[in-house]
Amino acid sequence: MWIPIQLNENSAEPLYHQIESQLRSLIISGQIKEGTLLPSIREFAGGLNCSVITVRRVYQDLESEGLLRTKQGTGTFVAKVGDSQREVFRREAVEEALSSAVDVGLSIKVEEEELKQLFLRILHSKYHPEKGEGPA
Amino acid sequence: MERIAIEMKGIEKKMRRKLIGPIDLKLPQGYVIGLIGENGSGKSTLMHMMLKIIYPDRGGISWFGESYPQEIPWQVRCQIGFVSEKSSSEEDNLTAEEAAEFRAQWYPAWDQTYFEELLGKFKVPRNIKLKKMSKGERRKYEISAALAPKPKLLLLDEPSSGLDPFAWKLMIDELRSYMESGEATILLSTHIVDEVKRLADYVMLLHHGKLHGMAEKDSLMDNWKEVWVNGSPDLAEDLPGIIQLQQDIQGVLRMITTECQATERILQDSGIAVLKTRTLELDEILSLWLKGHLPAGTQSGKGE
Repeated sequence: MWIPIQLNENSAEPLYHQIESQLRSLIISGQIKEGTLLPSIREFAGGLNCSVITVRRVYQDLESEGLLRTKQGTGTFVAKVGDSQREVFRREAVEEALSSAVDVGLSIKVEEEELKQLFLRILHSKYHPEKGEGPA
Repeated sequence: MERIAIEMKGIEKKMRRKLIGPIDLKLPQGYVIGLIGENGSGKSTLMHMMLKIIYPDRGGISWFGESYPQEIPWQVRCQIGFVSEKSSSEEDNLTAEEAAEFRAQWYPAWDQTYFEELLGKFKVPRNIKLKKMSKGERRKYEISAALAPKPKLLLLDEPSSGLDPFAWKLMIDELRSYMESGEATILLSTHIVDEVKRLADYVMLLHHGKLHGMAEKDSLMDNWKEVWVNGSPDLAEDLPGIIQLQQDIQGVLRMITTECQATERILQDSGIAVLKTRTLELDEILSLWLKGHLPAGTQSGKGE
């Protein structure tokens, strides 16, 4: 099967790390279902133009995290993701995104209070789009 | 332990116009190794020595862990496929089918169904002599015939020369599926950077008959980058692997590093913001490497 992974070549993040974190999100978020047979290492590497060394490393890491399991001679499958694992991941994904948003604010020297107001306004407009601009 | 398809130790060969070696290298089994080098750098000679078409003056070679002072025994030789830069004239007066029939007698593992399938996919013309074929058609026959006995090791000397873009794409796909088993090894000499990008796990650089090291392709892509930061040139003194440095406008420093991971870690720890990072194209990496900037951890002349 085809796995939607998008590599950013203009990032300092190593290839194996990009592939690993995207594949992890796809599995934990349930976009790739339990029991799915993943492509062979060579096929996956071919699709991403990266080496089998990189893909093997990703499969091994995710296997030791319990997200993948390999059956000798059959291939690598997606394992069952526990509810607590999914909860932790959900929270971490949001935390990470918020944290990088705050970093942008810090880098252009936005005051804490201003950032807080901005956040509340965006929050309001996303959750209640029908009510227009929300609280001033 | 990692298995080795071919190992060379201290190989030297004096050719008419050049000296090859001393070369030490190991081809790890199960991988595609891209062999890069300028015209006349010794790529073909290296492959010919791996087949004992040419004998080295000094040094030793082993095949799958064994060395053979005389000829390579047939049961080993028949597991090595070779597509040479120039097709041999021996088969010139045969058609693809006739040549295959001849080869099949020699290769116990010859897979005729697979061979026919490849000829079909590559649209190799039937019933005409090989010498009457176009360069590309002949090439497609040679590639099919090298794959048909399912060799453990495939030495490809510029296999794509003369191929149209469609045949080229097909060749990439076929070589990938040939690698599926995980047991096979390919040494691929090429001038086409995109071929290395799509196929290779390792890249090996040969320059004036000497090996300039072998590196994991992805490690090259991860580490050879262009980085822009705010600062003055003396900043670079504390950074690893900086091979180019330029002060751009308004205090912006542009650097090319061969150790991006380490460089960015140090910058981050020192609180210096990276404005932009760009991965070098593989051909930029190769030409810097050719100029003598070696990947971190490689030594000139060693294949590790």
